[in-house]
Amino acid sequence: MGGFEGILSGFQVAFSWEGIVFVFIGVLAGTFIGMLPGLGPISAIAVMIPISYGFDPTIALVMMAGVYYGAVFGGSTSSILLNAPGISGTVATAFDGHPMAIQGKAGKALAIAAISSFIGGTFGVILLMLFAPMLASVAIAFGPPEYFALMFLALTAIASLSEGSLVKALISGVLGFMFATVGIDSQTGTPRFTFGNANLLSGIEFLVIALGLFALAEVCFLIINSKKENKEIQQNIGSLKLSRSDFKEMKGPATRQSLLGFIIGVLPGAGATIASFIGYIFEKKLSKNPESFGKGSIKGLTAPETANNAATSGAFVPLLSLGIPGSGTTAVLLGALLVLGVQPGPLLFEEHPTLFWGVIASMYIGNVFLLILNLPLIPYIAKILLIPRPLLISLVITFCMIGVYAISFNTFDLYLLLLFGVIGFFMRLVHFPAPPFILSFILGGMIEQSLRQTLTISNGSLGIFLERPIAIIFLILAILTIVIPFFRKKPIEP
Amino acid sequence: MLKSLNRKIAILLWIIALAYLFFSFNLPAYPYVPVDSDVLPIILGILLFLLAAILFFMKDEVVDKKKVNITQSDLFRLLSVLFLIVIYVILLEIVGFLIITILFIFFCSYVLGYQKHIVNLLTSVLVPLTFYLLFTKLLQIKLPQGVLSFF
Amino acid sequence: MIKKILFLFSISIFCILVACSTSKSSSDENWIPEKPIEIVAPSGAGGGWDTTARMAAKVFKEEGIIKKDIGVINKSGGGGAVGWAYIAQKGGNPHHLFIASPPLIDVPLNGQSQYDHTDFTPIANVIADYGAFVVRSDAKWENLNDLFADMKKDPANITVIGSSSPGSMDHIQFVKIAKEAGVDITKIKYISEQDGGELTSLLNGSADVFSTGVAETIEQVKAGKIKVLAVTSEERLKGDVISEYPTVKEQGIDSSFVNWRGFFGPSNMDESAVEYYVSKFKELNQSEAWKEIRNKYGWDELFMSGEEYKAFLDEQREETKELLDELGLTKK
Repeated sequence: MGGFEGILSGFQVAFSWEGIVFVFIGVLAGTFIGMLPGLGPISAIAVMIPISYGFDPTIALVMMAGVYYGAVFGGSTSSILLNAPGISGTVATAFDGHPMAIQGKAGKALAIAAISSFIGGTFGVILLMLFAPMLASVAIAFGPPEYFALMFLALTAIASLSEGSLVKALISGVLGFMFATVGIDSQTGTPRFTFGNANLLSGIEFLVIALGLFALAEVCFLIINSKKENKEIQQNIGSLKLSRSDFKEMKGPATRQSLLGFIIGVLPGAGATIASFIGYIFEKKLSKNPESFGKGSIKGLTAPETANNAATSGAFVPLLSLGIPGSGTTAVLLGALLVLGVQPGPLLFEEHPTLFWGVIASMYIGNVFLLILNLPLIPYIAKILLIPRPLLISLVITFCMIGVYAISFNTFDLYLLLLFGVIGFFMRLVHFPAPPFILSFILGGMIEQSLRQTLTISNGSLGIFLERPIAIIFLILAILTIVIPFFRKKPIEP
Repeated sequence: MLKSLNRKIAILLWIIALAYLFFSFNLPAYPYVPVDSDVLPIILGILLFLLAAILFFMKDEVVDKKKVNITQSDLFRLLSVLFLIVIYVILLEIVGFLIITILFIFFCSYVLGYQKHIVNLLTSVLVPLTFYLLFTKLLQIKLPQGVLSFF
Repeated sequence: MIKKILFLFSISIFCILVACSTSKSSSDENWIPEKPIEIVAPSGAGGGWDTTARMAAKVFKEEGIIKKDIGVINKSGGGGAVGWAYIAQKGGNPHHLFIASPPLIDVPLNGQSQYDHTDFTPIANVIADYGAFVVRSDAKWENLNDLFADMKKDPANITVIGSSSPGSMDHIQFVKIAKEAGVDITKIKYISEQDGGELTSLLNGSADVFSTGVAETIEQVKAGKIKVLAVTSEERLKGDVISEYPTVKEQGIDSSFVNWRGFFGPSNMDESAVEYYVSKFKELNQSEAWKEIRNKYGWDELFMSGEEYKAFLDEQREETKELLDELGLTKK
């Protein structure tokens, strides 16, 4: 089958009634699972595998892909409303989304998130369709040295995530990094800081820290403030209408982050999380008033939401064009393909053009479905904030606990969740910012491993970075982000 | 000497850094890699120690118009909720998800001063039940059944 | 409040007692499960253990081999250690099974789990998978002996990559074969990549050899990107591409490695319960549906039970221990 015929038959499958129905089922299940605590795209897809056994492979993959990007789409809801990011890709969404919700603009925040996700997702699919085979070579260009340089660049963002004291931000960052070192060290197999506890061997689960540091700490503050006269938190969801000036503000970040997010998503191992952080920081650096970030900035919400959805499309590039899983989620998708009797690999494009193009075509429809599914639901979902405070607090705590329990089925993690809730509460009491903590926790493990992989390859010589042009570029950028603020400090006094 | 908040925190961070360094230095060696598992933790420990030193000599920020005052009753409520969470975790796998979650939501809301008992009861039964059915029936993910093992 | 808790507590203890007494009363000849069966996958959703367990549960149910409900639950953490600790608490309760593979041998030897295979009742092994050693298709090595000859000369220049950490699966399978070929295994440069970038690193030249499973290689070989220097099975595998993979043995190195996967129960399981499960797994093993699943995933059939399985596991432990001792990875 020739190239064009392949595209045609792919679109035929995607636009057949069967294709449309299963895309719909996929994205519907995806958004709801994304909203549920603890169930990220990985478990959502794993759950779908036995169900889809015996399906036509294209239809099954269309559905599972829908679950995947649907979950990323829906994951922003709990971040914005409850400050409880359910997957790592939506942590950055909470930075500005939750402040907006607190200011009584929950409806607007959800609408912006939905629209940004739609833009990022759709742009991502277009890029995927046009450039997938070409970008395949980009995906393989990244070895450990390049990853180290990229992650290091992302980590330098800690400085820009700080409000107020830089020292406090750095301390938070170092503490987060320390927690990332808990568990079996993958390069040597040595258990570190586990104190003989089997539960700590595989390290601390991301969700435990995210929900503890953000959601539970928030809950503690709600409890303390619940009887106060000056209610800081509006029990109001506001209108979800966006004004022309809102759209104007979204335009820049949405276009830039669609592209950047997609490219980062293409890199195996990077994915939606890194894309959303880099997108957030990038826009903050570019912004004329960076101090509005973290306080409910529209740009600060648009950037990560566009980037993480664009990255999700990007993650399909190595999967579909090379048969290489780029992330935990696409690895499970790869396993699912095996069950369906399709061997994913570099020849997928030639051997199964219908599947290849069918999935891509279905993603257009899926994104449209997600938008028309989510927008009308927003007023209802946002009403969660109208639940009487004591009841809401109990429900949020329950939500966090189910979420953590559903990933490990282990009560030990629930104690850890409580511990990080208390840590997060004290950090806020004494004005230590939480974002640097979570950022360096997420990146820390990858940075350390990629650096040590690099040095093992080079037998301990740092010179290897000089032989890698891509790595050099990232490292120079990283150094610039660290150094430049020192030179600029004086002129931007407010 | 310890009047300033920053100094108190710095001392705490020093303790953390020293404990972390102590365990880092005691990590067993693995001879076949150029950078062993203890290198980065040692760097992190030293970094934290130095940063804490800077913090020690920093003035407290001009805190704050709205300093968080924690009243006695607030603290009591906070601690009771923490206590309820601990009870929840202890009993989750013994009593089972459904019963313990219903009890938790009800009592937690009650402790926080929610007076509409009927609404409270309805929510605390319906929400866990929905979650339970969603997870076990629809998603085939088992939650602890506890004493309701026939369900 | 306290009263309520006490009340619940006594109820739960009562129920546990009832459950215990009923399971004891039925320990005569023909045991059948009287409660839903729970299979633990000591890992997160989507991995090899999880897939095998869920597929087995599915076939048991759909083919009507076991009438009772079977649920798969995930207890992840510690490379399996958390799940094993969970089963170890179950005493002789025959309604709890779990799925295991070589990490049940490796992880306790590394000192990362206090329970090893002797703390459980082996029921039946069902499938086998094999390791493959892969290089880029333009690499200078044509067979395993070329590679090992270079490794003996200049070990610092060859990087081996795999997804498990040192002392587990991908590392052990390579080390085992290399040792038999006379390579100094303490000089092997091994890096572990757990975020899915192994193949990428091989293709872009960051690593030279990729130690992995057979299934991961097929499509890349077809596309001409990589070549397989050796597969660790005793005999050549049957199948489209994989039958062209040379075994380690036929290259003059007398060694092999099998990634077995089987089901275990808690310690002190009743004889009759073990018998029940063995017969059910036998039935599973012979069913058409299971054969089809095996083919889809590229798994080989490897059925063992009873004393044969126990002896196999003990032997695996001895072999692995020897390797880990030499690498200095065993801990007391």
